[in-house]
Amino acid sequence: MSRYLLLFILNLPLIIAAMLSALVEYKMGKLSRKSFVRQIVIWGIICAGLALAQPIYKFLYSNGLTQTEPLSLFDVIQITGIITVLFMANRSRIKLEGLERRLQDLHQELSIRLSNDK
Amino acid sequence: MSEPKVKIALVIPAYNEARVIRRIVEDLHDVFWKSSYEFQVVVVDDGSKDDTAEQAHLGGAHVIRHILNTGSGGATATGLSFAYQSGFDIATTSDADGQHDPHDVLRGVEMLLQDKSDLLIGSRLIDKQGMSRVKVLGNTGLSVITNILFGIRVTDSQSGLRVFSQKALEQLKWKTSGYEFCSEMLWRAKQLNLTINEFPIKAIYTEYSKSKGQNNWNAVNIIKSLLRRRILEFFNE
Repeated sequence: MSRYLLLFILNLPLIIAAMLSALVEYKMGKLSRKSFVRQIVIWGIICAGLALAQPIYKFLYSNGLTQTEPLSLFDVIQITGIITVLFMANRSRIKLEGLERRLQDLHQELSIRLSNDK
Repeated sequence: MSEPKVKIALVIPAYNEARVIRRIVEDLHDVFWKSSYEFQVVVVDDGSKDDTAEQAHLGGAHVIRHILNTGSGGATATGLSFAYQSGFDIATTSDADGQHDPHDVLRGVEMLLQDKSDLLIGSRLIDKQGMSRVKVLGNTGLSVITNILFGIRVTDSQSGLRVFSQKALEQLKWKTSGYEFCSEMLWRAKQLNLTINEFPIKAIYTEYSKSKGQNNWNAVNIIKSLLRRRILEFFNE
């Protein structure tokens, strides 16, 4: 199997998951339309970059714009790893921000109620 | 039948201000007693290690104690949330180090009632008298950065003296809890299409307020935090 195809197949589920998650957030009203479009565009660019990696490399190489070796198996693993980390970091950040917000609200509400009870 | 009095919450976020907080509360009382408004001074003790809460209480303030220290933004949010929940028509915030003249606070309330703004900022930089060059430079720089990042033109984005309409109390929420909330609040107000205006105030710098004021180097942290917030919200608003 072509390494470029392997790279695309390995990363496609992550890209679909990220786009789906953005769509769910948007449909549930947690994400504005503008941000939803931005997220879809970014993941779409990543998807297109992976799908067209081979023709892009061939074009650059044949025009003398790059001297790098073709994609190795290690490169495939490394790029997949980077995209996985990007996906996970984004999810974690969203969850962390939500938790931080809830903690702040709880602290605020608790302080107000305690002061009213005095 | 006489018209019901306008209810005003005078919010003071405070952290380790036991030395001066009682006088600050009493000064606000003295000025507002002479006005026609119904008011309450609300001190939000942001987890102080000294007896700020006790001193504020002795001065006649309603005291809200934070269990944890959250930062100026968090304490301000608590005070304004209390004002909204308690049905106040207007709320003001002013610093606990005594740099604001209570007469300026009263003037801000009167201006807000007149010009129907939603958020009124007491600007120390319209009349820079009494401010050191370093402070002028730091505050002007942060106002310029606020303008670049969020497109809001104000002369003093970091001023602690602010007056809020009931609409602003109901709608304004911000995410940062440190000093950067001053700029973020303006950004949120702009997103909500609230009317923002400024009025000139005089800053009173005493040895105490100078020692309590922000270090100019903290501006770097504020800028970092605002940049991070701006970039993150590019993707998730």
